[in-house]
Amino acid sequence: MTTRTKPLTLPEHDGDVGKLGCRNASLRYHDGARETYALRDVSVELAPGRFYGIMGPSGSGKSSLLYVLSGLKQPTSGSAYFGDFLYTRANEQQVTDLRRKRFGFVFQQPFLLPYLTALENIVVAAPRQDAAARDKAIGLLAHLGMEGLENKLPSQLSGGEKQRVSVVRAMMNDPEVIFADEPTASLDHGNGHRVIDALAQWRGRGMIVVVTHDPEMLEDADEILLLRDGSLAEVQERPGAGERSAEDAARPLETGILSRLAP
Amino acid sequence: MRNPLSAITYFQRNPGKTVPMVFVIVLSVFLIASIATMVNSIDLTIRTIYAYTRHFTYAIPQRVSLRVPDEQIKVIRDDPRVDRVMEGSIFFTNIKTVMGRFPFVVLGVETENREYLIKRIGTSLIEGRMPAEGMPEAVVSAPIAENKKLKVGDMIAGPTDEGGISGSPIPVRCVGILKGPVWIAFTTKSFADATFITTPKTTIFTTKNPDDLFAVNDDMMPTGRKGEGKLAPSQVQLLSYQNLVEELRDSLSSMYLIMTVVNFTVIFVISLMSGMLSNIYFTQRISEFAVLAAIGYQRSALFLRVFAETMLLTSLGWLVGALVTFVFLNYFKTAVFQPRGLFIDPGDPFGYKFTIPIPFTITAFAVATIAFRLKRLDPVTIIERR
Repeated sequence: MTTRTKPLTLPEHDGDVGKLGCRNASLRYHDGARETYALRDVSVELAPGRFYGIMGPSGSGKSSLLYVLSGLKQPTSGSAYFGDFLYTRANEQQVTDLRRKRFGFVFQQPFLLPYLTALENIVVAAPRQDAAARDKAIGLLAHLGMEGLENKLPSQLSGGEKQRVSVVRAMMNDPEVIFADEPTASLDHGNGHRVIDALAQWRGRGMIVVVTHDPEMLEDADEILLLRDGSLAEVQERPGAGERSAEDAARPLETGILSRLAP
Repeated sequence: MRNPLSAITYFQRNPGKTVPMVFVIVLSVFLIASIATMVNSIDLTIRTIYAYTRHFTYAIPQRVSLRVPDEQIKVIRDDPRVDRVMEGSIFFTNIKTVMGRFPFVVLGVETENREYLIKRIGTSLIEGRMPAEGMPEAVVSAPIAENKKLKVGDMIAGPTDEGGISGSPIPVRCVGILKGPVWIAFTTKSFADATFITTPKTTIFTTKNPDDLFAVNDDMMPTGRKGEGKLAPSQVQLLSYQNLVEELRDSLSSMYLIMTVVNFTVIFVISLMSGMLSNIYFTQRISEFAVLAAIGYQRSALFLRVFAETMLLTSLGWLVGALVTFVFLNYFKTAVFQPRGLFIDPGDPFGYKFTIPIPFTITAFAVATIAFRLKRLDPVTIIERR
């Protein structure tokens, strides 16, 4: 497997539909009298149909970058956009609408509604909760090898099954981008891979942005953004990652990435 | 397929949360509606007992006079709408009411007038006979017989009767029963005149068109403005249906005020408690709302969802509460009230009207506090905390 470092150039916001990015985005918190930066002057642009990984040590701003890119947080300075939609110029309803119609989300915890079946939890994310949505959800569950789980409540599912149901939920509105924030953090190794495999299947239909601590989960990523202390430290492009052989895929990434992130 | 986020789905799938809330509302509706209906049964009792004044009105002299002055009787006679004016002698028999013993008038009029009044009321003898002239006898209508547990031959008033104005120095027997539902009792004028010599005589009048009676009453002595009528309130007191109801409501007004204050205090406390309970449930579901907000549900949609869930819960609680109250009051009427000849209307809208604010105040209180929290909801904070 080969990796190469991409120079950190400022992306031009050219209004292309489907490109996701931020320019000079900072996210600042006030911790009492102290000012803390979760993100500091970060600029990235992500292209449609690719699998992006965001990595970095704890507190490096990985999740904050995902929240800014997905519109869950507005940057305190700088801007974030999706296509020609500039979050900072939109109101909360418009950004929420963007998330509803064009983005999918997977979080560290599956956050399934405990009183709804797996199928109903998935249908919740559909634009319309009708028979077509139901059929589509059943099809997606089958596609990801989860036939027979449709009518089970979350309490009857394993941790891995729950998270894969949340992956299907993220796919229900045919999103242009799926954001996954530490989707494997609370899963064992095998289940973690199954979740990532499920997510990776979305490549080609839309963009995938995965935040993780675990480099092994990013074997299929086309590009990895490395963050340190709230800043973008490095972008690793990994050509042909999607078509890598099983042998390549089995090779751990620690040597390449983690060694550079180590303090 | 039904929307998984519909209020009905939440209600059905979370009985541990929804049923206790519904139960609290059912109990509060039951408590308030039952008390209000029972209190209002006093009003119903009086209106029922005095229902005969819908057919004729009687006047009594003020203070020391034993008869209504002639000039006042002339005022009544001169009204072209008046049909018949007659003199009556009365005594009282005790009946049971929710307020305790209550004096009920036994009217002594001439035989011809009695037949006229019986016809006007629309009743007739169903058992026994009419009282014989000058004899200590009376006929009563069926509801009075039921109330006093009387049958033909029993005493309806006597020297041992308790109560200030009820009773008779000699025992008066029931010799006949009149068809209900109007409460009415007749004796002979000759008996009443000879026996109750210190009791003031009444002047009774009817109108040619029965529908004019209330209008004539108002012209003679308007309710609440007694001095503005044709009759002099210093000389005569008009016991019209309107005046009786007005006086009754006046005397009950303090009780109604107390009941209203108590009811609204109960409603406020229940709303407060239910609102707090809703907030606790909302806190338990905060991650649910956070994830829905994160995946793109607008705050307004989440607010409407909370509103629909709360409204469904409170409306259902109110409906079940009203039904439970109706069933209970029906049972209470059959088992307790009717055997004692007492009145209660299980479907009396008065009692239920008191409970209408319950679902709305609970919903308003719960939704207002939750709306405040939804407005401040930051999904990322909740998602990260987990």
